[in-house]
Amino acid sequence: MGIPKIMSCRKRTWSPEKRALLVRVLIRMNLKMGILRTSRHWRSQNLERVTHKSTRYMGSVRTGNKGKSIIDNARIDDGGSEISESDQRAEESDSSEDEVPSRNTIGDVPLQWYRDEEHIGYDVKGKKIKKKERQDKLDAFLASADDSKNWRKINDEYNDEVVELTKDETRLIHRLLKGKAPHAGFDPYPDYVDFFKWDDAKHPLSNAPEPKRRFIPSKWEAKKVAKYARAIREGLIKLDKPKEEPRFYNLWGDDLNSKDRAGHLAYIPAPKPKLPGHEESYNPSLEYIPTQEEINSYQLMYEEDRPKFIPKRFTSLKSVPAYENAVNDSFERCMDLYMSYRAWKKRLNIDPESLKPKLPSRKDLKPYPVTCYLEYRGHEGAVVSISTEATGQWIASGSADGTVRIWEVETGRCRGVWTIGEPVQFVSWNPLSELPILAIAAGQDVLLLNTGLGNAEDQKKIKELLQVEISGTAGDSDEQPLVSWLQDDKHKHEAIRLRHFKTVTSVEWHRKGDYLSTVTPAGESRAILIHQLSKKVTQKIPFKLHGLPVSSVFHPSRSIFFVSTKKNVRVYDLLKQKLIKKLETGLREVSSIAIHPQGDNVIVGSREGKLCWFDMDLSSQPYKTLQCHSKDITNVAFHRSYPLFASCSDDCTAYVFHGMVYSDFNQNPLIVPLEILRGHASSNGRGVMDCKFHPRQPWLFTAGADSVVRLFCH
Amino acid sequence: MPKHYRPAGKKKEGNAAKYVTRSQAVKLLQVNLSTFRRLCILKGVFPREPKKKVKGNHHTYYHLKDIWFVKHDPLLEKFREMRTYEKKLKKAEAKKNRDLYERLRTRKPSYTLDRLILERYPKFVDALRDLDDCLSMVHLFAALPALERENIEVKRIHHCRKLSHEWQAYIARTHKLRKVFISVKGIYFQAEVEGQKITWLTPHALQQVLPDDVDYSVMLTFLEFYETLLAFTNFKLYHSINVNYPPILDPQLEALAEELYALSRYLDANTRSARASGSDQVEGQENEKQHDESDLRLAQLQHQLPHNEPGALMHLVEDAAGEDEEDEDTKECKNLFKDMKFFLGREVPRESLLFVIPAFGGIVSWEGDGAPFREADQSITHQIVDRPTQGHKFLSREYVQPQWIYDCVNARIILPTEGYLVGRVPPPHLSPFVDNEAEGYVPDYAETVKRLQAAARNEVLPMPGTVKEDLEDPQRLLVEGIIDRAEANEAAEKKRKMATLEKQYHDELKMELEGAQYSSSMINQNIESNTASGEAREEPAPDLQQIAEDSTNMSKLVMPRKKRRLLEAMEIGKKRKQANVDLLKERKKKNEAGQTSKAK
Repeated sequence: MGIPKIMSCRKRTWSPEKRALLVRVLIRMNLKMGILRTSRHWRSQNLERVTHKSTRYMGSVRTGNKGKSIIDNARIDDGGSEISESDQRAEESDSSEDEVPSRNTIGDVPLQWYRDEEHIGYDVKGKKIKKKERQDKLDAFLASADDSKNWRKINDEYNDEVVELTKDETRLIHRLLKGKAPHAGFDPYPDYVDFFKWDDAKHPLSNAPEPKRRFIPSKWEAKKVAKYARAIREGLIKLDKPKEEPRFYNLWGDDLNSKDRAGHLAYIPAPKPKLPGHEESYNPSLEYIPTQEEINSYQLMYEEDRPKFIPKRFTSLKSVPAYENAVNDSFERCMDLYMSYRAWKKRLNIDPESLKPKLPSRKDLKPYPVTCYLEYRGHEGAVVSISTEATGQWIASGSADGTVRIWEVETGRCRGVWTIGEPVQFVSWNPLSELPILAIAAGQDVLLLNTGLGNAEDQKKIKELLQVEISGTAGDSDEQPLVSWLQDDKHKHEAIRLRHFKTVTSVEWHRKGDYLSTVTPAGESRAILIHQLSKKVTQKIPFKLHGLPVSSVFHPSRSIFFVSTKKNVRVYDLLKQKLIKKLETGLREVSSIAIHPQGDNVIVGSREGKLCWFDMDLSSQPYKTLQCHSKDITNVAFHRSYPLFASCSDDCTAYVFHGMVYSDFNQNPLIVPLEILRGHASSNGRGVMDCKFHPRQPWLFTAGADSVVRLFCH
Repeated sequence: MPKHYRPAGKKKEGNAAKYVTRSQAVKLLQVNLSTFRRLCILKGVFPREPKKKVKGNHHTYYHLKDIWFVKHDPLLEKFREMRTYEKKLKKAEAKKNRDLYERLRTRKPSYTLDRLILERYPKFVDALRDLDDCLSMVHLFAALPALERENIEVKRIHHCRKLSHEWQAYIARTHKLRKVFISVKGIYFQAEVEGQKITWLTPHALQQVLPDDVDYSVMLTFLEFYETLLAFTNFKLYHSINVNYPPILDPQLEALAEELYALSRYLDANTRSARASGSDQVEGQENEKQHDESDLRLAQLQHQLPHNEPGALMHLVEDAAGEDEEDEDTKECKNLFKDMKFFLGREVPRESLLFVIPAFGGIVSWEGDGAPFREADQSITHQIVDRPTQGHKFLSREYVQPQWIYDCVNARIILPTEGYLVGRVPPPHLSPFVDNEAEGYVPDYAETVKRLQAAARNEVLPMPGTVKEDLEDPQRLLVEGIIDRAEANEAAEKKRKMATLEKQYHDELKMELEGAQYSSSMINQNIESNTASGEAREEPAPDLQQIAEDSTNMSKLVMPRKKRRLLEAMEIGKKRKQANVDLLKERKKKNEAGQTSKAK
């Protein structure tokens, strides 16, 4: 409002200032002279454009018969242009389109703001425009009296200057005052141009009378209104209400009648976030702050191992910066709260000790070998195999240096040395105490040696037994004998040499002392042979072996024969000549086997350091597997009378276990580890090579790769 | 009927029937994923892990019962309604139907969460138990800037601010604050309300950064729930101390952004008037009514309360003292800063201290408008200063660093101020949440504090003679312990000797039973073995570790694999813990070495 609209087609004659002045002049004249003229005449020009709609407009014309409103509605029709201005703002005008920019730039603001100021406003450059000196009233009056042109001078308050109207302008004013159009060239009464082209039509439009419906209120509208009214009354349409603040009240009441969440799954509260430790302090102890090297080393860690938080120290509270991950942490927590599984986890707050099984006290299981009591020194190579004599007085040891020695157990005296020539693989005493024959496996030979022990009667018997006829190539009389029985005279006592065709690794005697079995792992179908000493006969077992044989054992009381291959143990009945059982060890490589004196339990040692206990009555799976050694188990042994068994390994230790077998079938064997025996030194990566129990005492002999045989006593 | 046969009408069984994946759940509820997420957050439904993941490992599984639980909630229908409403609104806007649009816009359907809160927390204690996250979140948002882009409105930020202040005012008023810890992440507070330990984190009062890689809609949904929860909790708590909620604050203080102080004044004025009126009118309703009438007047009255006179606050403390039965802890906390007056310097981070000091019974003022008393007040005992030097000093007060307050609070005693004086490097600030003994490493300062605590406790004892003795108590105990151990060792030695003798006797008996033929040699051997065993006994003395290791090894041998693995895992954990402790000790040693070398 107040900004004149200027049509583009307008022929511009005056600057807006001048126009504004003009209007002001008119105002003054009107007010002074009390001439109240309506603008009806001017308006009549526009009436053609006025339609029915403009009743309001008309109303304003009607009521506009008072001074200001006349001017309000004043229109200067200038060749199709309209200029409407209000009296208040008329003085100021927009100078944007003018050729002559006004001096003052204060714009469309009331001039009274500047009434008391020194200046009237600002020029384009922003400098203050000083007010002109006010003339004395008397002077002004005199000057006006003197000046003949005074009547056409007007004071422009906006720019603070006196403007002199030109002749044209005065003429225009005069025309206006007379109520004529301001321009002389304006024709107030042009010819009427009909809005309708009467080509051939009789009537311009239908001249039917106005329908009645135009004069009565609309029924549909009334219906609509009624509908709305009803809706409002019923509350379907809600009229604007002030926005309600959320109301709070005692939600939980007295808490007494509240019920638990029933019918739902149990609510699992989220675990609380971890509470901060000392290191998260803004001023932690110095020891919590990692050094620069440590921080650098974090970079080398895996992403998930890397500490997320690096402690830092600030000297004062105000120097602590905002934590940059605050929002991220909070978001993570939110994600955890609604995205991650929740479950009750029983926190294992158990004493590690309680995990350990309740074992009978070791004190109650005495006696068992505890400490090294004697050392048998003399061998120059690793002692590979040892064997105790049936009476328990003697012990034989075979070494890799090619000698076999017999020691007295209690004193450690070496009774005799036999040089075999080849590294000894295995030594084994005849289980009969009256036949102290030693079987020695060395290379391809098995030597049955008369050790010269025992009384004269025994010696005689042995000598008889160890005589081989020259035709002694018994066994198979076919194309090739399995084994050649040879008399050996190299040694000071009688001996029989059983020559095999491949290397023999182990020799085992039958309990009756007449049969012995040998194992030659590379022997394929002739891998396991059974020799009869009394008849000097050799036979191979009539079973197919699956896998490489490792060792073979006779059952301590029945005619059952155990052969262990690398994977499992096969149990044969020698009388019925058939397989009774196959024990699945589940081990990678079996190295040794021993049988409980009662014959129902078997232990198997393996190259991976595991020891399996089989209860043959229970199943063919191991009853218990003990991972005891860190290296290969070289041998396992049962004690003949005490409930003891032992295993020895290349990690230079021997384990002694209590292995109680109950005659009650409902009770499982009790296995209790008793002692770890140390003392042997490792050489060439081998540790303890063999272990044997004393037949009567709870003593253990161990043969070490460090060429020492040790006796462990209780 | 074979087991695998399923009757025609019967659906699946087991895990396949009980659990559904998230996409299945969304399909079941016929909502879009974002609505599903909102529903889950608001209803507190979380995934549950089935024993067997039928659809594969990479799915999230919900229990079907949980999903039905969501499905039967009216909120689901409400969300649908809101969605259709949004469509209408959009349509009206697109068709430029301004009237309709305006009308629809002003009448959007809304929902309330109070029912959900009651459903999730049937008892007030349940709500308190889960308040940790709520408080942390509300406090975080109270410090965040509003962000139009992420729909974080100014109104909500202000609401969060208001709620957090209300909570703090309650805690301070009832002296329920227990522990405070300033970490790099912010300030941790722990309060104990109705036996529940509630820990929350407030960020440092600084401009927070809003990262881009965060889904704010999720956080805002959480916040929506938390705001309601905290408001209802506050309501309940305020009513438990006979104060109207929501509080009406002194507009002048509010304008000065001292809402907390304004709140504390409000609480003070309100509880007192409540008590006064309570004596006249027993019925709470009338009481409330009266409150309603006098709410505005109250606010005005607060304004009239003498600003610069600490009497109002003193009243508070006195009133509270005689208020009702309180547990030991609260009493201790309330009297920690009793008769002490604090003044905060301009540079001190004010918010937390204004909360903590009144919570422990102190009187506090600060530099700025609306403060209860000025710096020149002669009765001030401590002035908190956080700058390297202090120019003008009053002799009547001590100038300490803010950490002193927090350390006192955590130790529950008034610590000596020497270490915390202006310009000194304060002693390390330790976390009160750590159990040092369990952790295996006790920092030096924790030891010092412990000794001071013991000394403070003894000071209370009437007899000064015993105090000194008790002061040296730990050392004496130690000595006693050593003596004890020596005695025990001796006893053990004796026992062992007896055992060997006994054993020898038993062995001999056995030998005799076995037969006489070996007897001569056996006796010999027996003696030898005895000596040998004696040697062995002497030998393993330095080898004790080996023996211990052996015994553990042996017991491990017979364990089932599962238990053995468990034990090994435990051992690994222990080892890791020990490694941490060792690292700390090593660093400490290094630091000390560095310091001594520097000193030289």
